[in-house]
Amino acid sequence: MIWLVASALLFSIGAYGALTRRTAILVFLSIELMLNAAALSLISFSKLTGSLDAQVVVLFIIAIAAAEVAVGLGLIVAIFRRRETTSVDELRQLRG
Amino acid sequence: MSVGFWEILALLLLAGTAIAVVRLQNAVHAAIALIANFLVVAGVYVALEARFVAMVQIIVYAGAIVVLFLFVIMLLSAANANVGQDLMPRLPWVAGLGALGLAGVLIFAVTRFQPPTGPPSLGGGLPQALGPLLYDPEKWLYALLVVGFLLLVATVAAVVLVEPERIIAATGHPAHPRRDDQPNPPLAEQKDEKAVVKR
Repeated sequence: MIWLVASALLFSIGAYGALTRRTAILVFLSIELMLNAAALSLISFSKLTGSLDAQVVVLFIIAIAAAEVAVGLGLIVAIFRRRETTSVDELRQLRG
Repeated sequence: MSVGFWEILALLLLAGTAIAVVRLQNAVHAAIALIANFLVVAGVYVALEARFVAMVQIIVYAGAIVVLFLFVIMLLSAANANVGQDLMPRLPWVAGLGALGLAGVLIFAVTRFQPPTGPPSLGGGLPQALGPLLYDPEKWLYALLVVGFLLLVATVAAVVLVEPERIIAATGHPAHPRRDDQPNPPLAEQKDEKAVVKR
């Protein structure tokens, strides 16, 4: 099934972006790409198995992604107000 | 399923736009490439008999989420992605190697998948087919309610997070002790915050 391969490719490209991007917003953008790859694999499995449950799960994924984006972007804006930066290299206070 | 012209075209478009998302230097361009990626994925959903999910994908993902991203990128003037320095971004080939390994493992896994036999009955993925599943108490009804509540909590959290009053209050003791007798604490807290702003 070619779409499962496409989903794996998208997930890996998103992982690459999450590792190499330096701005928090762009790391977040890459994570959206990975979420979308997971949704694509669920839809292909739905087509392969003939079960609609996977499509319902994808609806939930989209809803949760919306919630995640609202909170995550709120966090980024709050961090930017305090620190004047969203670079993940400078936000290293949690590092041991 | 046979691999024809449209499958190859969609695969190339998906990979191309995804690479644009992770490689473009301008954050606005990356977000717009993400919109293109989501639109191609929505087309693939239609081809896979998930039409309702495809429409939701366009409306929520390409329409709302990425616009929120663009809004924040422009609000913070963070269009230039090349700031800061770290060991990992200086060695992008390590991340590339890791991503290639991940792709290899995932593709190995998914090509091993054997679909069960039997005629698929997806009903085109239309709302008539999805609705009874979503609202069936023995299937997904409670999950649906929980997700709805999660969206409410996330909205309230986003409002509270970006409120300037909240940042000042975080340095000292909280301005209001939370009242436990409220039936709906997140909503009550939001109202309290608005009262603070008015004063």
